Amino acid sequence: MHVISPMCTILQFVMRLLVLITFCFALSSCEGGLAPPPPIELGFSGIVYFTPNAWPPSDSLFNLLIFASQIYPLDSAKVVDGLFQTPYTIFVYPSLTQSLPLDKADSISYSFPLPPGTYKYVGIIQQINPDFLFRGIRVFRVVGFYKDSTNLSQPGSVEVNDREQVKGINIFVDFQNPPPQPF
Amino acid sequence: MKSAFLYSILIFFLHVSFAQPNTGSIRGKLSDTKTQKPLAGVNVLVRGTLRGTTTDAQGTYRLKGVPAGVFDITFSLIGYTSQTLRHIAIQPDTSIQLDVALVQTAIEADQVVVTASRREQSLREVPVSVSTVTSKMIADHVSVTLDDALRYVPGVNMMQDQVNIRGSSGYSRGVGSRVLILIDGLPYITGDTGEIPWETIPMFQIDRIEIVKGAGSALYGSSALGGVINVITKEIGETSEMRFRLFSGLYDTPRYAEWDWSPTRRLNTGGFVSYSNRVGSFGYLISASRMVDESYRLNDVYHRWGLYSKLNYYFSESQSLTFSTNIQWRKHGNFFWWKSLREATRPADTQINGEVNSTRGNVSLAYKTILSDQVLFSLKAIYYGNFWQDNDAGHVNNTATSHFTQVDAQATYLISQDHILTGGLDANYDYVISDIFGSHPGVGAAVYVQDELAPFQSLKLTAGIRYDWQRVWKELFSSPAATSPAQLNPKIGLVFSPGPTTTLRASYGEGYRYPSISELFTSVTTGVSQIKIVPNDNLRPERSIAVEIGGSQMLGERVFLDMALFQNDFYDLIEGGVNPTRFEIQFTNVTRARIRGLEIGIKADWWNRFLTTDFSYTYIDPIDLSRDVVLTFRSRHLLYASLTAHYRQLQANVDFRSVSRVETIDENLVRLAPIVDGDQRVAYKVIDAGITYDLINAGLPLSIGFTVKNLTNYYYVELLGNLSPLRTYYVSIEGGW
Repeated sequence: MHVISPMCTILQFVMRLLVLITFCFALSSCEGGLAPPPPIELGFSGIVYFTPNAWPPSDSLFNLLIFASQIYPLDSAKVVDGLFQTPYTIFVYPSLTQSLPLDKADSISYSFPLPPGTYKYVGIIQQINPDFLFRGIRVFRVVGFYKDSTNLSQPGSVEVNDREQVKGINIFVDFQNPPPQPF
Repeated sequence: MKSAFLYSILIFFLHVSFAQPNTGSIRGKLSDTKTQKPLAGVNVLVRGTLRGTTTDAQGTYRLKGVPAGVFDITFSLIGYTSQTLRHIAIQPDTSIQLDVALVQTAIEADQVVVTASRREQSLREVPVSVSTVTSKMIADHVSVTLDDALRYVPGVNMMQDQVNIRGSSGYSRGVGSRVLILIDGLPYITGDTGEIPWETIPMFQIDRIEIVKGAGSALYGSSALGGVINVITKEIGETSEMRFRLFSGLYDTPRYAEWDWSPTRRLNTGGFVSYSNRVGSFGYLISASRMVDESYRLNDVYHRWGLYSKLNYYFSESQSLTFSTNIQWRKHGNFFWWKSLREATRPADTQINGEVNSTRGNVSLAYKTILSDQVLFSLKAIYYGNFWQDNDAGHVNNTATSHFTQVDAQATYLISQDHILTGGLDANYDYVISDIFGSHPGVGAAVYVQDELAPFQSLKLTAGIRYDWQRVWKELFSSPAATSPAQLNPKIGLVFSPGPTTTLRASYGEGYRYPSISELFTSVTTGVSQIKIVPNDNLRPERSIAVEIGGSQMLGERVFLDMALFQNDFYDLIEGGVNPTRFEIQFTNVTRARIRGLEIGIKADWWNRFLTTDFSYTYIDPIDLSRDVVLTFRSRHLLYASLTAHYRQLQANVDFRSVSRVETIDENLVRLAPIVDGDQRVAYKVIDAGITYDLINAGLPLSIGFTVKNLTNYYYVELLGNLSPLRTYYVSIEGGW
């Protein structure tokens, strides 16, 4: 009669266990490993902070937009060219006909899609007049801009690259004490 | 200490005896019991003498100059059970025929190795962990370069082409290798960057590769901190032989459209051919190779041409001279790292037109003579020349030329059956001319001795020591680098065999690495980023102390277990540290590290060798003691498993390797290079599978194979920002007559 020794039994158990463990590990290789991340939106993002209780009345707040200009300083001709002539050098968010929320919140987070480039002047504009074509009267005014960390009176540049979104572009808006207008 | 050491050297040479006794010879043929196929590469060793040889491709061997007497003769080959013929009588001036058939096994308890003690010995007599890779394994895995062949060796982890034994190496892209590579016992490290030139190793001529784990500078000198890899090339056979191997691989389509950059499927194709013959005492071998890897990545195309030759002459039955040459030309796209994980098969924009061209080659000479029954003397020399340049859109950026020469004289003295003394002298010269490293000469010399004593049949003791002197100059032999030139590295080993199936071992060894010329003198602004690399000629050599205890046990007749516990202490590890404020990289001695771990290997064969299994698991605990954190670029767990089935002329194998995620990396390197998504890494689990069919029974001396590498198309990185190969389908054909 063939007798199986305890050592053989243990060995068989250990080997089966090893085969099982390896098989489980091998199965997990079907997960796939690394994968390309979902497409990223190039541009920059951040938070717009509003000074509490300083929101203007609704008859002087028709739209609120973020702008990013590759040109600075500006004049009215450069603004028109930058907005409407290709290659565009001035961009607005959400668009010339849409607005950031006007619900008098303390802050709004945003994500501004932009082509790569250096944006020398970034800020918030308030549309104070309902008609774009209202000649002779100011339609927009700057109510806040992204500041140079070393000189808070000057605009800070934002470098947008083709690899990732630039984060942390935070802008402070005080409707009652707007900064000097660019022109 | 020094005088005792010199005294032992003197005693060694005084013991040398030059008498030449009456001798006989042995010849014969080795074959596989089951298939009757001739076995190449079988080690034939006359126990208690210095005589040994290996079989050629026809399985034949001839061993001349065996002293008259009665000996045990051992025949061993990896993958086969060793066989010892007892009490074979050798008569003067007569030749005896010994034909032996070996039985296949997964168990390799008694194979012959040469690296651990600089002489042929049974694996059971070695006090350190040793693994081997055979030429058959290389062919079965369609391994085109040596680094590829090492991917299933227990305790070895490849970071693309950088070898890492038990966690010895971090991220250096091969510069300053902490593993020493040898070709037939001579160092094979580039003179400028101290890296291993993998692609120049003549893969088709490899008989076997031995991997010795742990510090090995007591025998081999600089670079042997983490271990030693010895590539042993095939001997020229007794009869004419033509061999070839052709392969073609097809990269699969990536699973993700973002990575599918090529409109056509990419191929990896190559071939080797060699012819050898022996006319009387003169043997010759010539070999050529050609490889084109179109790559699965953009700007990563690889072209290689190679020529190899070996000439061998027997002056007498106990005296031979071997001369070999090897030259390789290579053109390689410069894919340094990816553009981003989203575009992982495209290089960063700065590398899109880059290319590295190199011409590398070596000439080596080996003279061996058996001076008496007791003394074997060998004189070996190697010259290794290395030229490379990197181009960007046709514009040459950097160039480097290095010349490295080493001469090694060694004597092995068989004092008695139980007492062997080995000793030798080394000298080397290195000269580098480069626009980024500068022009620097280096000179080194060393003396070593090792004593092996078996006070009892079951106990074997080994002790050895090596003194190295190395110096590199800033200018032509003026202003030497401040690096300490002198190193003394001892080793001690013990093997205890309480029974025929049990071996216990313990070892202590020290290692060191003299900084490479590139680490000492590089001065350049890198092309791939704008970071400056600045020189530091105050570097100290890296040092290591390795301690290991282990044992092996046969369990029944079909299971072999090997276990080791190890601790490697590293001092003054050199790292290329990034200074983020000055945008500079400088190599400095920054790290004191300790790596502890264990390694377990179990091999078994089942159902009368129908199936063989091979498991190994290595755990390491890599601690950077300077900062009390986990050492960067190390994986804690390595699990390798292989399963091979044989049925008549068919062999099928499945190999699986699982390596845990690298826990920490150098974040500054990722941020400043910059390597976009360079921190992206996963544990990897890769399956390779293949079948080979031998047509020898159909009257054709051919075998054909089909292999799928990375069967599940698992995506991972071994090196930051470098996606490892996709699933690839290979067909191969190998033949010889």
